[in-house]
Amino acid sequence: MMVRATLATTSATTSATTSATTSATTSATTLVTTLVTTLVTTLVTTLATTLLAALLTGSALAGEQDDLPEPFTGDIPLMIEESAAAGITHSYEGPWEYFVGGGVSTFDCNQDRLPDMYLAGGSQPAALFINRSATAGPLQFELVENTSLALDRVIGSYPLDIDNDGYQDLMVMRVGENQLFKGAADCRFTPANVVWNFSGGNAWTTAFSATFEPGNAYPTLAIGNYVDRAAPGSPWGTCHANELHRPGGATESAKALPDYSNALPLEPGYCALSMLFTDWNKSGSDALRITNDRQYYRGGQEQLWRLDSGRYPRLFGAAEGWEPVVIWGMGIAEADLNADGYPEYALTSMGDTKLQVLDLQQAIEENRPHYDDMAWDRGATAHRPYTGDDLKPSTGWHSRFEDLNNDALLDLFITKGNVEKMSDFAAFDPDNLLLGTHNDTFSEQGLAAGVALDRRGRGASITDFNADGLLDIVVVNRGANISLLRNQGMSGPQGPRAGGNWLKLALQQKGDNRHAIGARVSIKTGNRVQSRRLQVGGGHASGNAGFVHVGLGVAERATVRVQWPDGQWSAPYKLFANHHVIIERGKDTIMQWFPVTPLH
Amino acid sequence: MTSRTLTRSTQLRQIAAICLALSGSTVAAEPAITPPSEPWSEKTLINPVFHEDFSGRLELQRLQALIDAGDHLFNARFTTLDGVGRPMATQAIIPTKRKRASRAAFSRTAGADANACSSCHNVPIVGGAGDFTANVFVSEGFQHTDFDTTDPQFSNERNTNHLFGSGLVELLAREMSTELQTQRSSALRQARESGNMTTLELSTKGVNFGKIHAYPDGRVDPDDIEGVDQDLVIRPFSHKGVMTSLRQFTINALNHHHGMQAVERFGKRWTGQSDHDEDGHIDEIGPGDISALVAWQASLPPPFPKTPPDKRWQDAAAAGKTHFEQAGCHSCHRSSLPLESLDFADPGRLDAAGTLRLGEGTDTLYPLALLEWAGRLPRDEDGRYLIPLFGDLKRHRIADQKLSALGNELLSQRFVERNVFMTTELWGVASTAPYGHRGDLTTLAEVIDAHGGEARSARDAWMDMTEQQRSEMIAFLKTLVIQP
Repeated sequence: MMVRATLATTSATTSATTSATTSATTSATTLVTTLVTTLVTTLVTTLATTLLAALLTGSALAGEQDDLPEPFTGDIPLMIEESAAAGITHSYEGPWEYFVGGGVSTFDCNQDRLPDMYLAGGSQPAALFINRSATAGPLQFELVENTSLALDRVIGSYPLDIDNDGYQDLMVMRVGENQLFKGAADCRFTPANVVWNFSGGNAWTTAFSATFEPGNAYPTLAIGNYVDRAAPGSPWGTCHANELHRPGGATESAKALPDYSNALPLEPGYCALSMLFTDWNKSGSDALRITNDRQYYRGGQEQLWRLDSGRYPRLFGAAEGWEPVVIWGMGIAEADLNADGYPEYALTSMGDTKLQVLDLQQAIEENRPHYDDMAWDRGATAHRPYTGDDLKPSTGWHSRFEDLNNDALLDLFITKGNVEKMSDFAAFDPDNLLLGTHNDTFSEQGLAAGVALDRRGRGASITDFNADGLLDIVVVNRGANISLLRNQGMSGPQGPRAGGNWLKLALQQKGDNRHAIGARVSIKTGNRVQSRRLQVGGGHASGNAGFVHVGLGVAERATVRVQWPDGQWSAPYKLFANHHVIIERGKDTIMQWFPVTPLH
Repeated sequence: MTSRTLTRSTQLRQIAAICLALSGSTVAAEPAITPPSEPWSEKTLINPVFHEDFSGRLELQRLQALIDAGDHLFNARFTTLDGVGRPMATQAIIPTKRKRASRAAFSRTAGADANACSSCHNVPIVGGAGDFTANVFVSEGFQHTDFDTTDPQFSNERNTNHLFGSGLVELLAREMSTELQTQRSSALRQARESGNMTTLELSTKGVNFGKIHAYPDGRVDPDDIEGVDQDLVIRPFSHKGVMTSLRQFTINALNHHHGMQAVERFGKRWTGQSDHDEDGHIDEIGPGDISALVAWQASLPPPFPKTPPDKRWQDAAAAGKTHFEQAGCHSCHRSSLPLESLDFADPGRLDAAGTLRLGEGTDTLYPLALLEWAGRLPRDEDGRYLIPLFGDLKRHRIADQKLSALGNELLSQRFVERNVFMTTELWGVASTAPYGHRGDLTTLAEVIDAHGGEARSARDAWMDMTEQQRSEMIAFLKTLVIQP
């Protein structure tokens, strides 16, 4: 503030001095001479005054320039868009129902541990692409022909292993009947609604999350629905109820196959666009957080459903500390930014993004989910385009915390894009890449990173397609080809260079929940602890399964502990950086994994 | 006057000078300190080495210029004018803040604990080892960021190693690491091609590093790897064998011992700050100066065994060498390891983030073959240089229940167990008493007596020798000198 105030004062002084000098001078030559002299004198005076004032207040040279954004000094990843070269032509199309959605699932369906890709198409067929990328090389994908996944009316999807056979299954969200697909080897998928007694309904489904509740062999599925188009007065105030699909009873016969015959409505629904099972209070039991679109609801707000391990769900209310937040909620990203076990949430909206931080005192002492919005303080509002001339508010969709420069600080990626010619909102609305800084803020570097494309983003996934330890991005765009952004490395004076060190971790356990959904991973390097949690849900209609990626900065080693979904902690694993590591529950040792072209 | 206030007053003068200059005044600001150009300046970093001036393969003159710059830096007694001290940073390899400023700028425990590199590395000459008085207290600087006790629960007390031949040691480690990693790739390829799990012995330059199990799906079980980290990077430096390169070691040591923070680790890129240790000096030591220090160390001649002055010693040494081999000492203390190339790339391929890597700055090649001593290295029939280090660049368990003197530490270091250490290279051992990791064994006989663990059978053979045989073995070891 002081620097700004000083600058304003000296600026005013400059104007006054210049104005007085000008009025006292008549000759043109004299005027020029005087002006030059005055300007130089004023410049010197201004500079000296500013610098000295700043110095005396102890700010300028000490790098404490208050609210002036400091230049970003860390690594900026260079993302190159190569969807066409990678062999992917696919856009998200369709009328009003497809103004929202546009999701992507990234997961390994052919057992080579590289993430493949399933893209929603809206009114066009969805498409499955197999990852053929060479290690650390350009991205390359191959379309799968004649797959049962090539459905139309697909909004998005999430990968998860529902039946515990080790293969990733798929929840496909649609306008109309949702479809569960059972995955098998070599990217074979078969519809499983009937065999798993799952009613796909006929709603307009726009959100999904899953968790393994304690004691259940199979996951609980939460389904978020949007506008009930058949209701009177639609679309205003006619949000469809959401659904909770708990697996059948705990009998042995019920465990033979998933049984989702008993679905519960989650009412009221407020037009959910993202939902996420989350252990907000470190209790070991998930609640269901839903972000809702105020565009269509009446009297609605954001929601947090309390599940309490099998009990009938009920909403947290104001009496329990849940403060009404009314936004155009589009996507949820969760991260435990300070590794205290209590997650933070980034909620995208039209206009500013929220960054909600739990009030720990209320949470710990009274179990109240009271959140403060820290987005402004931390530079994460992303409320309007950061480049171009369009100053109208942004429209945010997918959000995800990951570490794209491997500096051990989480970054926040947000897709942006006008809903559909909404003139009150930015037309050119580039995706955000907010890089984490060492003072717990974020710095917008989307332009420098190369993600500021003129496309209307929707769903997205951040994953390492070419197994080089650098996270890549895929964004599904409305009315345009996807953006497939390969992370080439960090911006350097001589071209892309390596970033920080990294680790990629895969968790396995035997029996139910083989991929350890709900597990926490604690990564310790020196005094610093990072935390990751394996979840299904959030973002915008998009999910990812596979290695958990962690940036390590300059640490060559990390001590990793796993809190398995049932709460038990593993022994510490001593891991070396820049490796893929497989941690199997109950084993004291790890397995490494190397892609086909080994990285030294 | 503290460095902080000095800096602030210096800034004030600099700003005043700028203002005066801009307003056309000819009155110069009074300098606060002697300009570095004056011969009596108390600043030692006078002529920073610009990294870009030394790119590519250096010819002898350029190499020597870089070595000379490194010689100056290795001997320089850094001062607060250079940036000595780290009031708000610990000795840790990962930039770590202290919770509060240390009361004393120097401390023999948590550091900073030396004025110059040569303060400790000086036995028998600069670049050499150190006396017991030059021991350092090695702590990761995370749990015990600041400690004022020598109690071993807080740190490991270590004697100073010599650096002669260290360029060759790093080159050997690089070649061995590459070969081990290539073997891992081979195992994976075989497993993929056969469809079956494949087990392969890991061996390089005749040294066995256990086994590796590769699976057709790309998984590798590293549990049977021995004597090297699971990433198959041989880290040849420090008693523990946990430092990858001279460059990494130099950056760590400059911070630990002097509070001189290298930009490539502690600068804005990785810490967000130009003055991470908050001593009022920004960007204290750049990559060019680090390269100079690396070049100087890498170019130090290897210790060549001396020919004893009289026939009696010669005969005794010859016999002692036989005893050394017959006892099995040479299974770890290998008389030589073959080296393919004397081209020393700086930075090297194996360093990780926080130490300059290839492509991050100026890539330089130091052709060590240009140096005088290179011509004296013996070569085998394939033209490979036989590096007479008397080591295997492998870590071993060196203590057991009965003989625990060399497992005298309470803290593991960087995932290496407390009783496991890198084989000490014996070249120069005759010139670098005292012995043992703590430097608390005064004679060669004492340190041989203390060998346990994997060295137990060799040590027992030594104990079974006659007095004359033991004397002859000492006579042999006493030929392994660092010659001034």
